[in-house]
Amino acid sequence: MLTVRDLTKIYANRFDTQAGGVREVSFDLPEGTFFTLLGPSGCGKTTTLRCVAGLERPDAGTIAVGDRVLFDSASKTAVPLNERGIGMVFQSYAIWPHMTVFENIAFPLRVAKGARPGQEEVRSLVEQALATVGLAGYGDRPATRLSGGQQQRVALARAIVHRPKLLLLDEPLSNLDAALREEMRIELRRLQQQIGVTTIYVTHDQSEALAMSDQIAVMEKGRIVQMGNPREIYFRPANVFVASFIGAANLLSGVCDGAVAPGAIGTVRLTDGARIGCLFPAGAADGQPTTVSVRPESIVFADEPLLNGTVTAASFLGGSARYDVRVGDLVLRVVGGAEDVVAPGKTVGLSFAASSAVVVG
Amino acid sequence: MNRALAWARQDMRRVIAALVGLVLAVLMLPPLWILLQDSITTTDAIGDVTGFTLAHFGKLFTDKDALRSIWNSLVFAAGSTALSLIVGGVLAWLVERTNAPFKILAYLATIISLGTPYILHVIAWLFLLGKIGPLNDAYRTLTGGTANLFNVNSMAGMILIEGFLWSPLVFLLLGSTFRAANADMEEAARMSGATVLQTLRRVSLPLAMPAILALALFVFIRAIGGFEVPALVGMPGRIYVLTTDVYEATIVVPPDLGYAAAFSVVMVVIVAVLLYFYSRLSKNAEKYHSVTGKGFRPRPFDLGAGRWIAGAIIIANFCIVLVLPMLTLLWMSLLPFLRGFSVAGLSMLTLKNFRTVFTAPGYVELATNSLMVAAAAATFIMAITALAGWIAARRGPGGWLLDQLATLSLVFPGICLGVAVMEVYLRVPLPIYGSLWIIAIAYVIRFMPYGMRYVYSGVLQLHHELEEAAGVAGAGSLTTLRRIVAPLLSPAIIAGWLFIFLVANKELAIAVLLASPGSQVIAVSIFDQWVNGQGGELAAFGLIWTVLMTVIACLFFAQGRRGGTDVFGN
Repeated sequence: MLTVRDLTKIYANRFDTQAGGVREVSFDLPEGTFFTLLGPSGCGKTTTLRCVAGLERPDAGTIAVGDRVLFDSASKTAVPLNERGIGMVFQSYAIWPHMTVFENIAFPLRVAKGARPGQEEVRSLVEQALATVGLAGYGDRPATRLSGGQQQRVALARAIVHRPKLLLLDEPLSNLDAALREEMRIELRRLQQQIGVTTIYVTHDQSEALAMSDQIAVMEKGRIVQMGNPREIYFRPANVFVASFIGAANLLSGVCDGAVAPGAIGTVRLTDGARIGCLFPAGAADGQPTTVSVRPESIVFADEPLLNGTVTAASFLGGSARYDVRVGDLVLRVVGGAEDVVAPGKTVGLSFAASSAVVVG
Repeated sequence: MNRALAWARQDMRRVIAALVGLVLAVLMLPPLWILLQDSITTTDAIGDVTGFTLAHFGKLFTDKDALRSIWNSLVFAAGSTALSLIVGGVLAWLVERTNAPFKILAYLATIISLGTPYILHVIAWLFLLGKIGPLNDAYRTLTGGTANLFNVNSMAGMILIEGFLWSPLVFLLLGSTFRAANADMEEAARMSGATVLQTLRRVSLPLAMPAILALALFVFIRAIGGFEVPALVGMPGRIYVLTTDVYEATIVVPPDLGYAAAFSVVMVVIVAVLLYFYSRLSKNAEKYHSVTGKGFRPRPFDLGAGRWIAGAIIIANFCIVLVLPMLTLLWMSLLPFLRGFSVAGLSMLTLKNFRTVFTAPGYVELATNSLMVAAAAATFIMAITALAGWIAARRGPGGWLLDQLATLSLVFPGICLGVAVMEVYLRVPLPIYGSLWIIAIAYVIRFMPYGMRYVYSGVLQLHHELEEAAGVAGAGSLTTLRRIVAPLLSPAIIAGWLFIFLVANKELAIAVLLASPGSQVIAVSIFDQWVNGQGGELAAFGLIWTVLMTVIACLFFAQGRRGGTDVFGN
């Protein structure tokens, strides 16, 4: 449905030596995908989104929705943003304060190129959009008299009222308080599935990305470093960056003990001599230095341990308990059940399944 | 042709930018060019260039009188800047940061002074401090002699009057600086054991210093270009400054325009250098702003018993800036001829002057002319700058150039712009010279930077996503401009319009060389009447005019509060 090929947009240096922008970003989205661009600030996720919207002009690359080429540097095609027929929700919502809720939502219909819908049709389309976002009856309100959550819904209604093929969401939940964010997360996903519109969602919040997406692209320094569904991203991080950006990760370093084929389980000899079984997504040669990522919740206290350590800190978190366990020079984070109580200072044995220890570099 | 269309369709802003840039270039560039040209060429009777010369500058830098004028200008500007900063600064601090009483009086004086033509203030002060004024009158009665205490037609008199002319502006601008300052820093000093005075000297003042310096430079620039006081107070006492030299060289017969142009070039260079430092300073000043958020109001200092002294200062300023000049004008307007304050004069009070103003044909036409010219200029400026300011603030095509063009006239003192505009439109084969149009054009050039400043800061307050949302929704540049930008920008545009309308009706210097008998504006007409000795009528007319302008000034302040923009575009 949406095809992005080798999208490149470099910004001149302003603050540091690393030039901002995006480099050779490519992805393909099937119809109806909820696609998330995830990464820290400055990684290029918003720039990518703005290039697709037409708010920025890429230096190179191709952007196409279905058969329609929106941008192509080779043939010098660049469809102006107002002719792309895309819906977008901005981070600030960008609700026009001088219009009513109804006029805000009706705007895309009123400025549409070609055959504009008549008065009656506008009314019915706007009311339908209002109902979809759960704001039926709010049309006559001045846009300035809305809560944050309501503004967000109006922005969403405005983005979908003209039935766009593509919906772009630029960190739409970042200005809401925690409880509302949780609620809107579910709501947004439900809405997207109901309308079935292909959606690109930009966020720096990994839990949002994991909860909502069909596909996630993790970006770092202008490049997509891993693309996959939420489980792949979480359980099979492609490198150290992804492993530590998505949730907490314990990183253990060692060397590969014997050659391993891609996707097979192999053995890693850690610096202190312990040997652990790990998954090698890319395979490795004998003696190759490796870094292994293990999620805190994958580690359990065991009687036949892989590693031995001492608990240095324990905190009770209600539903679970968090421990810092010193193993040699390393402090591992472990999440345990809330019922077990392990006091700091106690010596414990740790174990984890080979399939949950992933070689990331 | 197709490519041109495609280019335009890509971004309508390019077409708008090109058109606006053309209008700005045609308006703003010729005056500067003509001044430079006139200052280094000789011309024949009809103004055609006949040769190159450095004689004008040579005369300027060897002539003793000319050098004295430059020196006088600097003394005059420095003195009045210092006076206005002290008066306005103390007042601003008392009103914004302490619990002094009668604060409302300070605002009242400021609002009314914004609506009063400078020349009315000057005339009132000339009377108050003059030979027949109450000051010298009382002194003569006291000493029984004929000697006067104070000669108003002196440098001291000029500095005194100009200083109080600018103090309301200083009050307004420094007031906003003090309002924005972070009270925590002062409170921390107080908690560490400092007294109010120590806190002021060691914390408040150093923090406000960049803003104060920037403002000082700004007032200095305005005073260097000031015309009313040098013309009315200085010239009768044979004290000349640069602006009055330019004026003299232009009105003598035959006019020595090359010399006037050379003088103007010198002033433009001085102002341009000062402006450069001003822009650097004011950028610095913004860094020290430590505002936290809207509705933030720092806790005022408790002056204790001292607050009544502070109150007395506020009342004294109110009297000096507002009550005394207005009473003077009232007295002048109610007497058949000019005479000092006296009980005997009370029996002669008459409304004859007011009757004349309302019945004589000239006055209504004069008022209408002034209002129309100011309104036309303000409307045109806001229309142009709404586009130019939007493109510049959004870093659109050619935005930097548009900004430079629109603010170019900041380097002109009013009188120099008058000379330049006169020179340009004498050569244009259209019947502009001698009509009201030329005054309107001069206003447009002169006040364009103010319009630009209002729109620019107005656009910066609009989140750019408001416009982008319209674009994504399917609106083109023109639709976005019409349906989103223009309505949201209207508070800034209205505030800018009112401000330009007010200052255009206030300043004398630009119009004094351009007005002709058939096409007068208020300030010039008051000037002529004063020179002709028609004090009573001009006072009556001036009072009525002040009331009218005060109403507009009130609208302006109300609009500024609503739109949240700064009061002055500077």
